[in-house]
Amino acid sequence: MKVAIIDYGMGNIKSISSALSYVGVNDTILTSSYEEISAADKIILPGVGGFSDAIHSVRELNLDKYLYESVVENKKPILGICLGMQLLGESSDEGGPNRGLGFIPARVSKIEGLNLKVPHVGFNQVDFSSESKLYKGLKNLSDFYFTHSHKMNTDTDINQAMCNYGDNFIASYEMDNIVGTQFHAELSQTNGLKLFRNFIENF
Amino acid sequence: MLRKRIIFTLIYENGFFNQSRNFRLQKVGDINWLEKNYKFQEVAFSLDELIVLDASKDKRDMKMFSRVLSRLVDNVFLPIAAGGGVRSMSDAALLFSSGADKIVINTILHTDLSLVENLVSLYGSQSIVASIDYRIIDNRHRVYINNGVEELGMELESYIRYVENLNIGEIYLNSIDKDGTGFGYDFDTINQVAQDIKVPLIIAGGAGNESHLSSGLIIDNVSATATANLFNFIGDGFPSARKKIIEKNINIVSWNK
Repeated sequence: MKVAIIDYGMGNIKSISSALSYVGVNDTILTSSYEEISAADKIILPGVGGFSDAIHSVRELNLDKYLYESVVENKKPILGICLGMQLLGESSDEGGPNRGLGFIPARVSKIEGLNLKVPHVGFNQVDFSSESKLYKGLKNLSDFYFTHSHKMNTDTDINQAMCNYGDNFIASYEMDNIVGTQFHAELSQTNGLKLFRNFIENF
Repeated sequence: MLRKRIIFTLIYENGFFNQSRNFRLQKVGDINWLEKNYKFQEVAFSLDELIVLDASKDKRDMKMFSRVLSRLVDNVFLPIAAGGGVRSMSDAALLFSSGADKIVINTILHTDLSLVENLVSLYGSQSIVASIDYRIIDNRHRVYINNGVEELGMELESYIRYVENLNIGEIYLNSIDKDGTGFGYDFDTINQVAQDIKVPLIIAGGAGNESHLSSGLIIDNVSATATANLFNFIGDGFPSARKKIIEKNINIVSWNK
């Protein structure tokens, strides 16, 4: 099993690779190369920072095209984490209106609410369906670590699990081979490790 | 439901972890000592986050600190914030690549606004924790930078407003007077400032036992309680404190190993 973690120049990926190695995947590579992404069995799209800068870097490195080929055409499993999950959507209003990769029919907007502290930081409960492949073996309303100022919503069924902070928003989606989590499974103790194992084994 | 957090802060100086008392440091042990006495992969299930701060006053060695950080957080699947002495984008990059998920900044909030702006823009607000140290002198809350050495001549509340406007993600509010005393948090000040703070607030300084942590966690606008007390929570200190806090039905996660 070879996992490519997409490198577009941001964030701490150390905990993602240690989480993968904890669940038995030792062949991980941080890369933005076409050959390596094509050769991988699975892909992780991490991300911290602003949507606008991130999607620009992704396009500059031609990652939009490489990912389209691997993920949309060849159905390779991908896990987007936090900003990575948002980049797979249609659009975001962060840093001006920006188009995302458009693999998932969902949009990103700012978290707002009266007396609501932003960013939404900390462990929060995730409400998922018992059919979910991603949460297999976990109890509903398990806690995961969130840290974000923008949230994703959709009108479409993308097998979403939900989280509540002020309003309901998408905590994760699983659409065939395309998976995304708003939270950081790699920072969510044993719950997160189970989720990584599920992504590796069930997708 | 969003949970509250219990955070363990480690104070590092030139190779050693320290017990700080009113910002005077007492060496306790190196990373081997820490691993022996605090087995992180175990204790992690009693915590929600780790903060590691380099409080070295002179001869600061960011590379060595990063190596210690990297070893410390190995196989700990919790959010890690690190800081102390961040003065450039490359300092921040080094901490992020050594396992930090967030960085903690203090002095540059006052001395280098363009650096703060660049950090926020590259890593996002949610990756930046603003640490504010204060002490009360003649009934006035005075803000300090540079390891608590330099007084800013600014009132705490106006400084908090100023810092919030820099688009940072969280505030780590630390009472120098209470630091390391184990007498409890500075609840008077916390109650006075907490409700107006629009970002998550972490309180620090003074926690010495489980009831201090509990009293902090139940304050509405407090998101997290931190303790840097290396002595009071040694051994099974955190597991037993967490158990009691959960028994009181305070809103924190109950982790399964």
